[in-house]
Amino acid sequence: MEERDTLLIADDVMINRELLKDIFEGKYNILEASDGEEAIELLHKYKDKIALLFLDLVMPKKDGLEVMHYMSLNNMISTIPVIMITGEATVESDVKAYELGAADIIYKPFEPAVVTRRAKNIIELYQHRISIENELAIRTKELRESKRKIEQSNIFLTNALSSVVEFRSMESGEHIQRVKRLTRIMLRHWRALYGQKQFTDEQIELMVNASALHDVGKIAIPDNILLKPGRLTDEEYEEMKKHTIYGCQMLEHFKQEETEFYRYSYEICRYHHERYDGRGYPDGLSGEDIPIWAQVVSIVDVYDALVNKRVYKESFTPEETYRMIHRGDCGTFSPKLLKCFDDAKKDMIEATE
Amino acid sequence: MIEEFYNQIGGDYSKAISRMQNDERIQKYLKFFLMDESYNQLKTAIEANDCESAFRGAHTLKGVCQNMAFENLSKIVEQITEELRAKEFEKALATFPNVAEEYQKVIDGINEII
Repeated sequence: MEERDTLLIADDVMINRELLKDIFEGKYNILEASDGEEAIELLHKYKDKIALLFLDLVMPKKDGLEVMHYMSLNNMISTIPVIMITGEATVESDVKAYELGAADIIYKPFEPAVVTRRAKNIIELYQHRISIENELAIRTKELRESKRKIEQSNIFLTNALSSVVEFRSMESGEHIQRVKRLTRIMLRHWRALYGQKQFTDEQIELMVNASALHDVGKIAIPDNILLKPGRLTDEEYEEMKKHTIYGCQMLEHFKQEETEFYRYSYEICRYHHERYDGRGYPDGLSGEDIPIWAQVVSIVDVYDALVNKRVYKESFTPEETYRMIHRGDCGTFSPKLLKCFDDAKKDMIEATE
Repeated sequence: MIEEFYNQIGGDYSKAISRMQNDERIQKYLKFFLMDESYNQLKTAIEANDCESAFRGAHTLKGVCQNMAFENLSKIVEQITEELRAKEFEKALATFPNVAEEYQKVIDGINEII
C-alpha cells in the first residue's frame, strides 16, 4: 500500500493556507487549492497520497459542501479524513459538518499546537483503520475460501457415503442426485409459498446435502432382503424398515458435534418414512411433529421411486405419479406439503426428465 | 517594531507570535495581508448594495483578521458580518465607515514597518 504523506489545504484565503502550511512544512508534502474545483482536481489526482484534507466551507466556484459531496460519491470519505475549517462555532454548522462526514472541525484563529495534535491524531486514526480494514478484507477472503473448501469436501464425503449404499443396492447412482435436486426445488417452493423467513439459502443447501444420506442405513440390511427381487415377507419388511434407525445409529457413531447439518441428516434418516396421519415408521410421528425437511425428502423419495424403473416395478409418468401421491397410494402427506408439491410440479417434472 | 505595530492598531502581539513563531514570519503575513482581496470585495459590494457578496467578503476578512490577531479590526468586522448575515443592510451600511477606519489604521501601520 502506498504511503499517505500529503496534506491538502483547500481555502480561498492565501493567509489561511500559509498559516497551515507553516505548521506542517517539512513534516508533510503540501498541496494547496484556492477553490473547490481545484480541491476536487487534486483529490482526484492524489487520492492515494492524501493523508488529510483541511477544508474551508466558504469558497468560490465550488464550496466545501460540494467538495464533501464529491468525496462521498467517490468513496473517499472513509479513507481521507476531512478537517473542516470554520470561522465561527455554531451548533448548526458543526452538526452539518459532522453529518457530511467531517472527521473534525477547527476554528479560526488556528492555534498551531492544537492543529498539529488534532491532525496527527486523525491521520493516525484513519491510517490505523484503513490498515485494519485491509487486513480484515484479506482474512475474510481467506475464511470464505476455506469455508468453501470445507463445504466442497463435505458434499464430496456425503455423496461418497450415500453412493456406497446405492452401489450395494445395485441402483444406478442417480437416485441420490435426483433426490438432492428435487429436495432443493421443493424447499425453495416451500419458502416462496410460506415465507422467506423459513430458511436461508445456506440452510437449504445443508438440507439438500443431508437428503443424500436418507437411505444410508440400508448398508446394514442383509443382501437377501436388500437385493430380493420379489415381494418381501412381513418379517423381511420389518427388517427393511429398520434402515431408518440404522442410519441414525451410524450418524451417532461418527458425530463430532451437534451441528445443524448433523441435525438435518439425523432427522431426515429417521423420519423420511413417517407419514402425516401417523401411519409411517419407525416412530409413528404425525402432523407437524415431522420436521419439514424430513417431510420434503419423504415425498421426493416416493416421487422419484415412482417415476423411475426399479428391479421390482415399472415406471410411471409424472402425471400418473402426481395422481397417485394425491390419492394417498403411498401414504398420507400434509396438505401444506401437497400444495407445495403442486406448486413445484413444473420444476419437478423438468428436473426428472 | 512589530510589537509596537500591534499595540498601535489594537492587536494582540502575544497571540500573533504564538501562531506565527517569530517576527520574520509575522512580517511575511503582514505583506500577504496587503494583498488580501476580501476588504475590497466587501467595499465594492457595500457600494453596489450587494448584501450577499458583502457578507462573503466580510466573512473572509473576519477569518483573516482573527488569524492575524488584529483584535480591534476583528471585532468591528465581526459586527458587520453578523449584520450582513442577518440581511440588515442598513445597519451594515452604518457600520462600514468604522470598518474602513480600522482597516486603514492597519494598512498604514503595515506600510510604515515594511
